[in-house]
Amino acid sequence: MKLRTRLALTAVVAVIPVVVAMLLLQRSLWEYSQEDALEAAVLARMQVERVRCEEAPETWRPRPSEEGVLPGRVVFEGQEERRIRRPRPEVTEGPEGPRPKKAGREPTFVTLFPYDSRLSSRNALAPGLTEDVRESVRAGMVARRFEQEGREVLDLWVRMPWEDGPCAFVLARSVEPPRPSRLVLVPLKDWTLLVFTVVAAVVLALGSVVRRVRVLTEEVRASARSGYAQAVSVRGQDEIADLARAFQEARAEIQARMAHQEAREQGLRDFLANTTHDVMTPLTVLQGHLSAMQRRLSQGEHVGASEVSSAMSESHYMASLVHNLAAATRLEAGAPHVQRAPVDLNDVVARVLGRHRPIARQRSIELESGVPATPVRVMGDVTLIEQAVSNVVANGVRHGHDGGHVAVVLEGRRDGGFQLRVVDDGPGIPEAERARILERGFRGNAARTRSPEGQGLGLHIAHHVARVHGWSLTLGPSAHGGLEVCFSCEGVSGEAREERRE
Amino acid sequence: MRERILVVEDDSRLGTQIVEHLRGAGFEATWWMEGRSLMPGALPDVRLVVLDLMLPGTYGLDMLKALRGFSEVPVLILSARNDTLDKVRALKLGADDYLTKPFWPEELIERVRARLRRPALCKEGAVLELGPLRVDLHGRAVQVEGRVVELTRVEFEVLAALARRPSEAVTRQWLAEHVLDPTREGTERTLDVHVSRLRRKLAPTQCVETVWGVGYRLTPRTRA
Repeated sequence: MKLRTRLALTAVVAVIPVVVAMLLLQRSLWEYSQEDALEAAVLARMQVERVRCEEAPETWRPRPSEEGVLPGRVVFEGQEERRIRRPRPEVTEGPEGPRPKKAGREPTFVTLFPYDSRLSSRNALAPGLTEDVRESVRAGMVARRFEQEGREVLDLWVRMPWEDGPCAFVLARSVEPPRPSRLVLVPLKDWTLLVFTVVAAVVLALGSVVRRVRVLTEEVRASARSGYAQAVSVRGQDEIADLARAFQEARAEIQARMAHQEAREQGLRDFLANTTHDVMTPLTVLQGHLSAMQRRLSQGEHVGASEVSSAMSESHYMASLVHNLAAATRLEAGAPHVQRAPVDLNDVVARVLGRHRPIARQRSIELESGVPATPVRVMGDVTLIEQAVSNVVANGVRHGHDGGHVAVVLEGRRDGGFQLRVVDDGPGIPEAERARILERGFRGNAARTRSPEGQGLGLHIAHHVARVHGWSLTLGPSAHGGLEVCFSCEGVSGEAREERRE
Repeated sequence: MRERILVVEDDSRLGTQIVEHLRGAGFEATWWMEGRSLMPGALPDVRLVVLDLMLPGTYGLDMLKALRGFSEVPVLILSARNDTLDKVRALKLGADDYLTKPFWPEELIERVRARLRRPALCKEGAVLELGPLRVDLHGRAVQVEGRVVELTRVEFEVLAALARRPSEAVTRQWLAEHVLDPTREGTERTLDVHVSRLRRKLAPTQCVETVWGVGYRLTPRTRA
């Protein structure tokens, strides 16, 4: 059901009890005023009719008189023809036959019956009273309503100002003309008009609301069609504006999730593409080495240590490359993918050295470390931190001269921070290039180029890992002629330090 | 007696390699090819467990959890997944170390040896016997191959600091800060001078080794 129809029906349903209540109130007011008017008319009439009544109570009927006619259309019995035909009292009365009915209601006819103080009447036509009715009248009941032949009858007992005589009580019996319903006193069309007015007012008032709901619906549909790129307009301060605002919030949430999902998918696609591309090259080189070795062995030739060493180096490079691509993907995806847990840097240094020592040994590069006796603990992502340190050490080993040195020195600071330095005596990096290396994006072609001096993806990852952990990474010349890469973290407040030590 | 190591690895090639290398390094290896639910008493008498995570049967971390319910045997986790959550969970469950694949066999042996090496308990006042060297920390007396060597305060402190962490490199900065008097000339260069004198006094035995880029290390072995 449409909103407008529903609202109109609701208005109608709400108006019905109000109308019924109004009708009942009107009815009771009308009854009260009818009784009041009738009593007044009877009393006034009896002032002039008392003598006649007491003289012949058996046959007394009120004499036709202008005073007897009540305001409105109440007519005492026997007065009707004269009053309707001629308003003047001089006009002789007499039966004139049935009169053409005028439009509108028929008059009410009232018949008066005299009763004495014991409530018995000498008029043979007077209604007989049961003992119950007598008791009720004596107790003060003055009015009784009932139906007779489809007409509503009102019996009203009026106590006269005098106590004795055959006319101490007068029963005024008023017979209403027939009506379709007792309740409906006001013409039906008036009520219809009222209900129609109320409903129309409600529907008109709600018209703008319905219109705004329709506009909002259209805007939401359009927004959905546009992949939630299109905003909806928020006007006003009412519930519809709240609904529009709620949709805006939902839309922002959906957009954020979609963007996040898109970033993840893109990250995955990039990861697959880059992994495939980057791993295939060293894999090809490795296959070349293995093939050469196999050929030499099959020909009974000696396989040199340098060839085996090259093959090992390639596979080592591939392993670190895959780890780096995974780390880059996580770093690109953003902060939520960086886990925070206590990390023992002494252990990290030990693991990194363990990983690179076999290759360093192959190339006679001395790889050593110095860590404090008390472990240095930080909060961070152990995989990323390990990867960052590993990258720097791998660079030192990879680019160092045979017989060279790489050292990792970890020192705790008095303020709770730490400093992790990787020094080597290799070729180093020219000053002009250092800053540029750190700022370069992950996916630049240069970052993937394996030139002998190129630093590849490793240093960018180290830089980003340092950044997401709030550390600094600096590159500088080492005292031994090579490069010194330093991760450093300033001390934090006492509380954070305690947390870090947990 | 050869020390026994339990290897839990489902990949037959990798398992064979690991077992071969461990045997080559002088260990006795027991190899399980699937994860088993561990009950007290179900674990063979081993000095160390090398545990893969992705296993058929019982998942590696579940095995670790069950194991830690009744044993403190060192556990070295092998994981193909380089995921921080896995590592953190494993360490929290009581793993002693983890190794991500791929790894060099030498790396594995080095890790195993490091885990099995008993930490040198160096109490203050104890007498440290390190190869030809005997350092009485309490009595501040040093002997090399039974010969008493007279050392200055700084020389003794340098030697004691190195002797407390044998085979580990100690940074020059740490030594300079903790051994030298900072109010006087406490530079690393001064330290080198002291070390040079110390070496001369310990000669012909060469126990104080220079570690390139780091500092010094006491090698508790006799050098030719």
